[in-house]
Amino acid sequence: MNPDARNRWNFPDLGVGIGLRTVHYAHILEKKPEVDFFEILSENYLDTGGRPLWVLDQVAERYPVVLHGVSLSIGSTDPLDFEYLRKLKNLADRTRARWVSDHLCWTGVSGRNTHDLLPMPLTEEALAHVAERVRTVSDFLERPLMLENASTYAEFAASSMPEWEFFGRLMEQADCGMLLDVNNVYVSAFNHGFDPKRYLDSIDPARVTQYHLAGHTHKGTHIVDTHNDHAIPEVWELYRHSVARTGNVSTLFEWDGDIPAFDVVHAEALRARAFRGEREEGRLAAAAS
Amino acid sequence: MPPPPLELPLPRLQRWMQAVIEQPGEAGEAVESAAARAELDPAEIGRVILPSKTLTSVERVGVYQGMYLMRMVEALENDFPALAHFLGGERFAELVTAYVAAHPSRSYTLNRLGGHFPEFVRSFPGIRRRAFAADLARFEDLVTEVFDAPQSPAWPAEEIARIPEDAWERAVLRPVEALRLGSFGYPVNAYLQSVKDENHDHPPTGRKATRVVIYRKSYEIWRLELGRPAYAFLSALVRGRPFGKAVAQATQGIQGPAGEQVFRWLRDWVAEGMFTRVEVSVS
Repeated sequence: MNPDARNRWNFPDLGVGIGLRTVHYAHILEKKPEVDFFEILSENYLDTGGRPLWVLDQVAERYPVVLHGVSLSIGSTDPLDFEYLRKLKNLADRTRARWVSDHLCWTGVSGRNTHDLLPMPLTEEALAHVAERVRTVSDFLERPLMLENASTYAEFAASSMPEWEFFGRLMEQADCGMLLDVNNVYVSAFNHGFDPKRYLDSIDPARVTQYHLAGHTHKGTHIVDTHNDHAIPEVWELYRHSVARTGNVSTLFEWDGDIPAFDVVHAEALRARAFRGEREEGRLAAAAS
Repeated sequence: MPPPPLELPLPRLQRWMQAVIEQPGEAGEAVESAAARAELDPAEIGRVILPSKTLTSVERVGVYQGMYLMRMVEALENDFPALAHFLGGERFAELVTAYVAAHPSRSYTLNRLGGHFPEFVRSFPGIRRRAFAADLARFEDLVTEVFDAPQSPAWPAEEIARIPEDAWERAVLRPVEALRLGSFGYPVNAYLQSVKDENHDHPPTGRKATRVVIYRKSYEIWRLELGRPAYAFLSALVRGRPFGKAVAQATQGIQGPAGEQVFRWLRDWVAEGMFTRVEVSVS
C-alpha cells in the first residue's frame, strides 16, 4: 500500500486515470498505453459475456481497476436489489477492483429506473435512510462503499442541512468514503448559489479516496454535468485547492459525450499531475502492490 | 416571504418526482399530469422545490424531465440503429416516447430496454411500412442478444474427423450461446448493412424472404444469410434434433448429392464456431 495514503482505509493513490470507454477499446488493446488506472462503469459489464467483458479482463490484467456504478440507487425507497449487488461483488472480485463507488442519489422507485442520478432531500429522514442502506451494501460487498457527490439541478425546500454536512454525517454514521467530484461541486455551487470552496473545505480529507474531474455545459440559466469537454480553469483551481487539503488522491477524468481520441482524453487527465505537486515517485509501484 | 416547506415523506416525494420526470412534453404539463397530481398538487410545487435565481421550481424539475426521454432515445438508437435510420429521428423519438411509457426500464442496465420493442413496433399505429419496421426491430433485437450472450468455447473443426461415421446419425450438436436464427419477410440484413456502411443508396425494402444466422466469433458479431434448406438444417440442429433426422428433414427439397452439401454446410458452420460441443449417445 502507498505509505503516503492518508485516507481512512489506506487506499493507495493510484495516480491519474481515465474511464474505460468502448470507443477506446481497440486503441488500449493495441497500444497498451501507460495509464495509471482505469475506472469502469460497473453496469456495462454485469450482464454481458461478449466483447466488453473480454476487453475488461485484459485491461484488469494489466492495469489497476476501480468500479463506478450508476444504478445502486442508494437513496431510493425501493428495496435494495441484491441480485444487482451479487453481480457487482462478482465483478469487483473478477477485476480485483481497488474499490467500488456509486453516487449519493436515487435512480427510481416503484420498480422502475430513470437511469438518472436524482437528488436527495437533505433531511434527517433521508440521512438515516441512506446510512442504513450504505451499511447493508458495505456488509454485503465486504468492502467499504465510496459515494460520489452528484451534480444537482433542484433543491428541496424541506432540506435542513447543506450537502457537505449531509455527506460528512453520512460518512461518519455509515463508515463510507467519498469520491469527490470537483466538477460536480462547481456545477451544484453555480446551480444553487453556494461557495464551492466552502463545500470542499468541509469534507473530511481522510474520507476522500478518489477525485473526479470533467467538463460541463453552461446553459446560461444553469449548468449541466455533460462530461463532453475539457474541464474549465475554475474547476482545475478547485481541484488544486482540494488536493492541498487531502494530499494526492487517485484522480480520474471523465469524458462520456462526444468522446475524442484516447490521447486527447488521456492528455486532459494528465493535466492533473501539474496540480498534484511532486509526489509522483513510487506511485506506480504502490499501485502495483 | 417564501411559502413554508412542505415535508413530503421520502417515498411520496420520490414517486412524485419520478412521475414528473417520466412524463413527456413540457415540464409545466408534466407536473399537471394525473400521475404527478396523485402525489402532489401542482400549486404546492414551490413548497417542495426551491426556485433558483434563474429557474422556477417547475423548470428545475424540468431539467431532469427533459433529459429522461433523451436518454431513452439514445439507448434505443444504440440498439436499433437501422430502425432509427429508417423512421427518422422525430418519428423514432415519438415511438420511443410511447414505448417507454408502456415499458419503462425496470433494470439496473439499459442493455435490455428494447426487449419488448419489436412487438411494440408491430402494433404501433402510424409507422410507415410497419411490417418492414417490425421485422427490422426483431432482427436488431437478435443482434443485441448475440452481442451480450455468454461466451462459450467453440467446438474445434478438427474434431469432426474424430466422430465415428456410424455415430453421426444420432449426434446432437449444441450451438454456442451467442447464436440466434431469424426468418424475416424483408431484406433486413441488407438494410442494416447499408446503414452501418453509411450507404444511403439502401437496398429495396419490398418483400423478400430473408433467413439469417447471427453469431459471435472472436468477440465480433457476424450475420450470415442462408438459403431455405440450409436454414432449415441449421434450425433443426440448433433445436437439438439428432444429425440424421436434421439431414433427412433438410435434404427433402435438395436435388443432387444432398449428403455432400449438408456436410459442407456443417464444416463451414463448425469452422465459424457456431457449435460448442457434440453429444453422441451410446447406441
